[in-house]
Amino acid sequence: MVALARKTLVYEWRRFLPAILAVCFAGLLQLLQAALVLGIFGSASVYITGSSADLWAGYPGTQSVNLGRSIDAGVEMRLRMDPAVAAVEPFHWVDADWRGPNDTGGVSVFVSGINTRPDGMLFAQALPPALRARLNEPDAVIVDRADLDSLGVGIGDSAVINGHRVRVVGVSSGLRALGGVNVVASLATAATLDTDPSNANRMTYFVARLHDPGQARRVAVRLRGDRAFGNYDVWTAKSFARRSRLYWIFDTGAGAGVLFLAGIVFLVGAAITSQTLMAAVIGSVREYATLNALGVGVGALRRVVMEQAFWVGLLGLVGSAVLGAVAMAFARSRNVPVALGPWTTLACLSLCMGLAIVSGLAAMRSLHRADPATLLR
Amino acid sequence: MSQPLPSANASTSLQVRHVRKSFVSGQVRSTVLHDLTLDIRAGELTLISGPSGCGKSTLLAILSGLQRADDGQVIALGQDLGVLGARALERFRLRHTGFVFQGFNLFPALNALEQVELPLSYLGLAPAEARRRAMASLEEVGLGPRTSLRPSELSGGEKQRVAIARALAKQPDLLFADEPTSALDAANGQTIIDILHRIARTHGTTVLCVSHDPRLVGHADRVLAMEDGRILSDRVPPSPSTPATGFEETP
Ligand SMILES: Nc1ncnc2c1ncn2[C@@H]1O[C@H](COP(=O)(O)OP(=O)(O)O)[C@@H](O)[C@H]1O
Ligand SMILES: [Mg+2]
Repeated sequence: MVALARKTLVYEWRRFLPAILAVCFAGLLQLLQAALVLGIFGSASVYITGSSADLWAGYPGTQSVNLGRSIDAGVEMRLRMDPAVAAVEPFHWVDADWRGPNDTGGVSVFVSGINTRPDGMLFAQALPPALRARLNEPDAVIVDRADLDSLGVGIGDSAVINGHRVRVVGVSSGLRALGGVNVVASLATAATLDTDPSNANRMTYFVARLHDPGQARRVAVRLRGDRAFGNYDVWTAKSFARRSRLYWIFDTGAGAGVLFLAGIVFLVGAAITSQTLMAAVIGSVREYATLNALGVGVGALRRVVMEQAFWVGLLGLVGSAVLGAVAMAFARSRNVPVALGPWTTLACLSLCMGLAIVSGLAAMRSLHRADPATLLR
Repeated sequence: MSQPLPSANASTSLQVRHVRKSFVSGQVRSTVLHDLTLDIRAGELTLISGPSGCGKSTLLAILSGLQRADDGQVIALGQDLGVLGARALERFRLRHTGFVFQGFNLFPALNALEQVELPLSYLGLAPAEARRRAMASLEEVGLGPRTSLRPSELSGGEKQRVAIARALAKQPDLLFADEPTSALDAANGQTIIDILHRIARTHGTTVLCVSHDPRLVGHADRVLAMEDGRILSDRVPPSPSTPATGFEETP
């Protein structure tokens, strides 16, 4: 079989280049915007993804981790009673107001009151045991290094949270959050900062580690049925993190923006690609008509056009994957938050191939002009 | 003018009976073929010659199943083309007909061998057989040593020979050529018509060539002169030529 589609593509690559570039840049744009949105909004779930807990118990219907309401402290007992649970610890969340030493004005902060023991689950990745132990000093707090400027402090400086004096005993990285500044404290310190009297004897979340993390989904279902300790719900860390991210993506309108832009990119890409493929078909229309005169069916000619579209799609896709990888590496080296999972990548690249296929279908219609009778003049 | 109805004999491969064709452009209806009746024999090069616009190409299109007549009957290889649907016509063309056009219509990306192999692969031939036939056809038109060249590396005459090889490799019973020499100089044109003549002789193919070029008249077995959609004369040219066997490259 003579590989007409491929040979033409190689020989007349200049003619096909605009289509390949259109697919390539459409793919690159999709990949980058998805990576940026996921990267930026991924920090919405930093509390969950940065901790080693398998299960989260919180107020029913909590849309995002930063929107938690307090639940009965007795839930801790309920979690401990389950044989699958290895450890439980509380997570005290306080929305607070920060005043730095240099009168930088109020900054809204999220205080995370956590267990300071070396095997603590919360911020297990961001806070190594030595740093974590420093939180045991009274009124000690830790912030992200990148937030020092906006908080107007350095290590060892004092500040005031909700009218209470605290001291910055250390900095870490990987604590940056969305919508405010993260401040980590011990549970005892956080309790003194919580000025809401209705939160007495209550806790924002309880997190649990399981003997077998693979059972998380089953255990969550088992634990959430119980109403003995008032209103609470139990989620796996993975689903709670996902929910928090999606809440931010769609609540801020970023999700709609991404979808809108994806649609525009698809349309523009398809317009360029189909025009290019169409021009290629029309450029060879006399040759196609000759084949048809010799008895080669229109179906076979259509397959040639579709094969060209496929190769254009594939080349463009490889181009966007390579450029995307380079752009991601560059973004990471500049601390631009980007995140891309295999499924998102696959979705973006399938969109590219879809674009090429749609363009091929549009170009195929130009084959109507390949009428062999027009060759007889 | 009245034509005697030719009696179909064993070697008649194309029968045309009372074929009419007219085109409507705007309000004007112009008749291009007026009640044509003729027979064309296998193993001969039949030349239809006549001035531009007299309806030669239209006749060729109807005889080869690329267009339909308004009226009348075309029987090709014993098959009435009028009763065949579009698909069946395509199949008929795939199995039985070859075409050579004024333009060479070669794919720029393919070399001579691939140009000839391409339609063969759609005939369902095994790749090795397709290659063998393609080589044989190219050798028959004298392009044996130039099979790996692309159209951009071939002269006009060579390109037309590739186009002939492409039609010939299918081993068609009917070979149609529309102005095959019009884009070529006299010497190249003569080479082309001689090749077509030889194909008719050696393969028993029905070769129907249409041209306004009077220089080709001496190279055909039979010449039909056409004017205004009618056949004016049907004759054997005065000095029947024997097709040349060798290929002298013309500058
Ligand atoms: N598709 C068509 N529509 C309208 N008129 C046509 C069409 N094809 C051919 N004609 C007309 O039919 C006449 C004969 O054309 P053609 O068979 O191509 O002549 P020739 O090949 O002898 O030069 C011309 O006047 C041409 O304008
Ligand atoms: Mg003509």
